[in-house]
Amino acid sequence: MASRHLLYLTNENLVSLVARGGRITGRTVFPIPGTVPEDFERHVRGLRTLPTHVITDLAEEDFRVDSIPHLGARDQAAVLGRKLTQLFRNTPYRTALPQGREADGRRDDRVVYTAVTNGEVLRPWVEILEKLQVPLEGIHSSAVFSGRLLAELRQQFAHTLLVTFTPGEAVRQTYFRNKEIKFSRLTPVALEEGETLGSLLAGEVGRTWQYLDTLRYFAPTDRLEVCVLIHPKDRPAIEPVLRDYDQIEYRLLDIEQVAGKIGLKPPPISSSAEGILAHLFLRRPGDNHFASPEIRRFATIRHARIAINSVAAAILATGLGFGAWNLSLALQNRDLDLQTAQRILALNREYDEIQRAMPAQGVAGQTMRDAVAFYAGSLRTYPTIAALLVPVSRILERYPAIRLTQVAWQAVDDDKTLPPLTPTIPRTEPPIRAVAKRAESSAPGVPRGQAEVESPFSTGRHAVAILEATVRVDGLEFRKAIAQVEGLIADIGKLEGYRAGIVDSPLDITPRVAVQGKIGESDPGPSEARFSFKVTRSMEPRT
Amino acid sequence: MNAAFSKEGSRLLRFAWATLVVAIVAACGLAWGGYWYEQKEKRDGVVSKRLLGEAQARLANAKRERDDLRASSVVFQDLVARGILKEESRLDLFDRLHDLKVRHRLLGLEYEIAPQRPLPLPGGRVFDAVDVLGSRVRVKALALHEGDLLAFLEELSMPPKGFNPVSRCTLRRLEAARDDATVPRVEADCVLEWISLKDKRGSRAN
Repeated sequence: MASRHLLYLTNENLVSLVARGGRITGRTVFPIPGTVPEDFERHVRGLRTLPTHVITDLAEEDFRVDSIPHLGARDQAAVLGRKLTQLFRNTPYRTALPQGREADGRRDDRVVYTAVTNGEVLRPWVEILEKLQVPLEGIHSSAVFSGRLLAELRQQFAHTLLVTFTPGEAVRQTYFRNKEIKFSRLTPVALEEGETLGSLLAGEVGRTWQYLDTLRYFAPTDRLEVCVLIHPKDRPAIEPVLRDYDQIEYRLLDIEQVAGKIGLKPPPISSSAEGILAHLFLRRPGDNHFASPEIRRFATIRHARIAINSVAAAILATGLGFGAWNLSLALQNRDLDLQTAQRILALNREYDEIQRAMPAQGVAGQTMRDAVAFYAGSLRTYPTIAALLVPVSRILERYPAIRLTQVAWQAVDDDKTLPPLTPTIPRTEPPIRAVAKRAESSAPGVPRGQAEVESPFSTGRHAVAILEATVRVDGLEFRKAIAQVEGLIADIGKLEGYRAGIVDSPLDITPRVAVQGKIGESDPGPSEARFSFKVTRSMEPRT
Repeated sequence: MNAAFSKEGSRLLRFAWATLVVAIVAACGLAWGGYWYEQKEKRDGVVSKRLLGEAQARLANAKRERDDLRASSVVFQDLVARGILKEESRLDLFDRLHDLKVRHRLLGLEYEIAPQRPLPLPGGRVFDAVDVLGSRVRVKALALHEGDLLAFLEELSMPPKGFNPVSRCTLRRLEAARDDATVPRVEADCVLEWISLKDKRGSRAN
């Protein structure tokens, strides 16, 4: 709870109360008649930064009850201001307290006007506060504020008269009707000979009741509840004298018990209500009553300063928080980076170890890789002629009419390649034979001269061979001879990985070629018909 | 609140306003500084992750290469043992051809060894560390029986040292004028490549 400075002003004393942490920690009394303004100024100079409240408990406080037509806020404020000017022309310390609306009729607004009618009792002190630029939060009427005491003590009745003693040896009577203040007056305690405080109090209360009754506040059955805030040591002097009537009932409020209820420690040592009201005020300050905005300007500036500083602190805290949040993220990233860097170092170490341990084989590792790559790609599965021909020879043994005359074999990467082969002419040609066109060569494959041209070294994905052979033809039994050849081709094609096909048939009987026949008087004898076929074997493994 | 913006209020609040300005500047500085540092660390993190990825990839490559080399090592040892990295020894080839002629009872043997040249590979492929060299050898052999010729060619293409793949071969049956064991019946005309590798840095494995 913030520190505050309360100035409790009565007609006799100005009491300076300094509160820190919600408790009154300093109390200085300046007697009104005997105080030099410079002493007070010196005192306030040390407290000039504290928010300051002036609580008035003066005999010059006047209360007027009124009702005005119900208006909007701005119009009401204008009307109330005009009324205040009319009622309290000679003082700037005045205020109007709207109290709700009447229950019947035009339902006018109820208002209580109050003012410190003699501004001179406040002016010197306020001038010193202004001179020192003290943040004056407000000038508060103790009578108006005392309504909160009744609320705290749950002593609010239809007609309540709160009787309190001031530090200025006076007694204040404040009348509340249905929780709304209507009237208050301060009476000096000047006991005549033989008169007790109780009899004084009873007499003053009686006069107040009569005054209120003349104002028609009471119905015949109404009773005024008089709450007297009294210290136990003064109780014996008061209690025996106060007697209840049908119209008046007294309720003595033990000031020590009241202090206990509102949490004031230590309790007051006298019947003065100053400590009780000041404590209540510190718990929750009351509204300003008499201070104009001009008088309160240093408090306004103080609030503005606090607001600006709060905004600055909030912005700084936001920036700091955002920066710290980013910093924490950055530090997390940095930790991860460090871990990553360590992992990279470990990986590089392992890499270096592997590089050092890499087998060299007398030459660089790249030489080894290249040598092995060349071997694996070009030499490992390179085909051989024997691997192709041996299985074919076994099949040829089953065809005695067929006689192999020539083989052109080649290791190639393209199985469409035809190895060059120069055809041979059988010793005894058959009587019927196909005649090749002039443009067509009977020799398959590429002529030998072209084949000799330097070509890239084959990796030997395929082994291809053109096989030239003759088949024996008995007389004109070409069907049998062709069947033999086709059987041979089919059998070779059944070998795993082999493909075979005829290149030159023993007798081309397709319509596109010419055929010559030469038959004498006698039946033709056995002859040999030439043919050739292609055998391909893929990925021939090298044995 | 008008008092705060009056001349007097402005004078009394100048330090507060200055504090607010300083706080705004400081807050912006702190926020920007923190953000900048966080972004820098984030960028560094991205770089670190990239470097980590590269290091992991490089290590994986090295491991794979090591494993490949281990696997290749055995093959390479065999290749070195077979003299693939040795220079050609043509005298050895002469001796070997002579031995094969005798062993397979060839009736005639002619050969022609072309000058060694860089062996053209499919697609113009070249190797970083080795030159592939080849000497084309053309062999003509005469035999009484095709079995002898096939056995000769098989053994010729698989020498104990070096690599001599036979790339092309033509076998032809010869028509004999008389039935005589000294007259060849089959003829082979083959081309083989005598392949060797040369380390581009000049060294050769022994």
